[in-house]
Amino acid sequence: MNWARISSTSFDVTIWLYLGAMVLSFAYLAARRDLLWVLARVVAIAGATSNLVSIVARGMAADRVPWGNMFEYSTLLAFLVVAGTLVIVEGVARIKTLTGFSLMFSVLTLAIAAMFFPAEPSPLQPALNSYWIKIHVVAAITGSSLFAIGGIATILFLIKDRSERRALAVLREREPAPIMGGAVEVDAPHDLLPDPEGAGGAPAPKRGGVLPSAAALDRVAYRVIAFAFPIWTFAVIAGAIWAQEAWGRYWGWDPKETWSFVTWVIFAGYLHARSTAGWKGRRAAVIAVVGFISLLITYYAVNLWIVGLHSYKMG
Amino acid sequence: MRTALILLLILAGAAVIGSLLPQVPNSPERVGQYLAAHGFWGQLFFRAGFFDVYGSWWFVLITALLFVSLAACLLPRTRAMIRALRQRPIQARELDGFRHHAEVRVDADPDEAAVTAERYLRRRRFRVSRDGRGVAAEKGTLREVGSLLFHWAFFLLLLGVIVGKGTGFTGRAVVTEGETFVDARPNYSGQIRTGRYFGGGFTGLGFTLLDFEDRYRSNGQPIDFVSRVRFLDREGRPTGMQAIRVNHPATMGGLHVFQEGFGWAPVVDASVDGRKLWSSPIQMTRDEPPDGVPATAMPWRGAIKLTAPEPDVMITLELWPDFRAFANLQLTGQPTPMFVQFDPFIRYSVYRGEIVDPTVSDLDTSGLHLEGRGDLHAAGESTFDLPGGGQLRLGFPALRHYSVLLISRDVGIPVVLAAAILVLVGLIPSLYVSRRKVWIRAEAAPGGALLRIGGFSLQRKDSFEEEFDRIVRDMGGSREPEAPRPEKVGTS
Repeated sequence: MNWARISSTSFDVTIWLYLGAMVLSFAYLAARRDLLWVLARVVAIAGATSNLVSIVARGMAADRVPWGNMFEYSTLLAFLVVAGTLVIVEGVARIKTLTGFSLMFSVLTLAIAAMFFPAEPSPLQPALNSYWIKIHVVAAITGSSLFAIGGIATILFLIKDRSERRALAVLREREPAPIMGGAVEVDAPHDLLPDPEGAGGAPAPKRGGVLPSAAALDRVAYRVIAFAFPIWTFAVIAGAIWAQEAWGRYWGWDPKETWSFVTWVIFAGYLHARSTAGWKGRRAAVIAVVGFISLLITYYAVNLWIVGLHSYKMG
Repeated sequence: MRTALILLLILAGAAVIGSLLPQVPNSPERVGQYLAAHGFWGQLFFRAGFFDVYGSWWFVLITALLFVSLAACLLPRTRAMIRALRQRPIQARELDGFRHHAEVRVDADPDEAAVTAERYLRRRRFRVSRDGRGVAAEKGTLREVGSLLFHWAFFLLLLGVIVGKGTGFTGRAVVTEGETFVDARPNYSGQIRTGRYFGGGFTGLGFTLLDFEDRYRSNGQPIDFVSRVRFLDREGRPTGMQAIRVNHPATMGGLHVFQEGFGWAPVVDASVDGRKLWSSPIQMTRDEPPDGVPATAMPWRGAIKLTAPEPDVMITLELWPDFRAFANLQLTGQPTPMFVQFDPFIRYSVYRGEIVDPTVSDLDTSGLHLEGRGDLHAAGESTFDLPGGGQLRLGFPALRHYSVLLISRDVGIPVVLAAAILVLVGLIPSLYVSRRKVWIRAEAAPGGALLRIGGFSLQRKDSFEEEFDRIVRDMGGSREPEAPRPEKVGTS
C-alpha cells in the first residue's frame, strides 16, 4: 500500500468534492430547496472525510505529524475550516448559509497549495523536529481556521448589514412623515426586518435575502472569534517557548512573530471594540476583516516573500 | 481604554514596518544593500530608525505610553473590583423593571421562602445576600477578575523582559573541534550583545568541543546537527558531557547554550624556507550564493596572513570539502551541493604587499599583488616559489568542523513564562464568564407567599434566559411566556 499515493489521490478528490458541495450550497441559497441542502451537506461531509484521509495518509507516508510544511498546513487548514463550519456554524449556531463560503475558502486554500508549494512527503528539517511542533502548530492552525470562519462570517455580515440598511431606508420612505416632525429611528433593530431564515413563510425573493440576518451573522462571528482568540494567544506563547528552545530567544521580532503579534493585536482590538459604545456593528466588523487579512499575510506573505526563520515553503 | 487600544494598534503598525524593512540586528548586510539601492528614501528611513525599529527610541516610547495608559485604565477598575468583592450584593427595589422577571406563588411562609431562595441561589454558586425577605445574588465576578489579571500580567511580562534582557547577554562562541571555549568577554571576539544593566560577570565556565556532526539524507535534506561537548569547571576540570543539537540546548551554570551554525576549519601549515610561520585551523566562511545556486554548493573561504617575511604574504584559501563538486563544476559548469567530505581540496592564491588589517577574518586583497595560485589536497603538500627568493611550503594535515554555539543568559525567562501563563489564565474567564444578577423577594400572599423574581445578564443573554427560566421553575413556578423579546437565537 502506498500512503503517498493515497494521500495525493484523496487530495484531488477533496478539491472536487468541496467544489461540488460549494456549488450545491450556493444553489440551495438561490433555490431554497431542502433537497439541495441535504445534498450539499452530504457532499461536504464526504469532502471533509476525503480531506482527513489525505492528511492521515500523508502522515503515514512521511512517518511524522502531517503539518511539516506549507502544503500540509494548507491541507489541514482547509479541513478545519470546513469541519469547523459544519460543526460550529451549522451544528451549534444553526446557520446554513455560511457553508458555501467556507467551502470556497477551502477550495482556494487547497488550490493555492497544489499550485504554488507542492511538496513530496519527507522528514522534518531539524529546526522543526521537536515535540513543540505538535503543540504550537496545532494551536496556530486551530486558531487560524476559527479566525477564518469568523472572518468569512464578518464579511457576510457587512454585506447583509448594508442590504438591511438599504431595505430600512426604503421602508422609511414609504412611511408617511411623522406629523409632529419627529424622525424615524435610524438604528432600528435588525429584527424589525423580515428575517428570510425565520421559521415559516417562504423567503421573500429580494436581493441579499439569501443570507441570515445581520444580527445572527454578527453573533456567530463574535462567538467564533472569541473562541479563537485564547487559542491564538496560546499558539503565540507556545511559539515563544519553542523559539527559546530552538533559537535561544523567546521573542526576536522575526516576521512570523511580528505578524502573529499584529494579528493578535487586531483581534484584541475587535474584542474591545465589541464592548465599546459606538464601535459595535460595522466598525468592529471592519476591524475583524482587517484581522482576517492580517492572518492571511501571517500565513502566506510571511512564508513566501518575507525572509525569516519561518520560511518553511520547501519543507 | 481607547487611548491604550490606539497605542497598541500604533505599536502593531510600527512592528509591521520592522517586518517589511531589513533590520540591523537581524541582517545588517541586507540593510546595507537596501541603503545602496534606495538613495534618498533609504537615508530618510535610516534617520527615522526604520532599520532598527524594535530598538528605536520611538518604539520604546510607544511601549512606555501604552503601559502608562493601560495602568491608568486598570487602577480605577481594580479599585472598583476590590470594592465590589468586599460588598455584599445590593437589594433592588423594582423587580419587574428588569429584563427578565417573573412571579411565583408558593405555599410557604414568606420568611421561610426567602431563606429557601437564599440557600438555593448559594447552591447555584451565586454570591448571595439576604435582607429580611429580599435576596440579592450575583455571579460572574470572575469575568472582571480574569480581565484584570490578563491586563496586569502584561506588566509582569514587561518586567521579566526588561530585567532579563537588561541584565543578560547573548554571545556567539565559534569553536573548532578539539578546541576549548571559556565564558569570558574576549572569547566572544566581539560577537556579543550585552544588556544595558549587564554587570560584566562572566562565569569562567567552559567546554571543549569534542566533535561536530552534520547528517543529511541523500536528497540533501538535513537530518541533524550535533555538537558533542565536555563541560569544564572554572579550574578546567571536566564536569560532564552532552550533545547539543537544534531544539535541544544545554545549560551551563545559568547559561543556555544553543546549536546555531557550523562551518569548515581546515588545519593548514605554512612555512617559508623551512621556518614554520603558521599551523592552526582556519575558520572559513561561505559567500552568499548567486540566485539558483544552493548555499551548500559554494566553496568556503579563508586566509592566512604572514607578516614575518618582508614584504607580507597573504594566502587566500578556497576550500572544496568534496572534490567531486569542484571537478563537476569544472567539467560541466553545474554547481553541486557538498554534504560530506570527500578528498577535501584547497585552491590557494598567494599575494604580497602590505597587509593593513592583520585579522584573519578580513579577506580584502586590495593593495596586494597576486603572485600565483596552487592546489592542495588533504594530507598533501604544495610548494610555491616566492618571487625574489624563498620557498613557501603549505600542508593540509586535517579538515575539521567548527561549530557556532549561541550562549545566552536571561534570568527573566521564568518571570516571562509566569506572566504568559497568567495572561492565558486571565483571558479565558474574561471572555467566557458572563456577569448576571438575580433578585428574589418574598411577599406575604393569601395562602402562602408571592415570590417576585427579577434578573439580567450583561453577557450571553440568550443562555441567561434558560438559566433564569430554570431558577423560576426551581422556585416553584412555571414561567408564563412573556411578550416576544426583541432578540432571537439565530435560527435557520
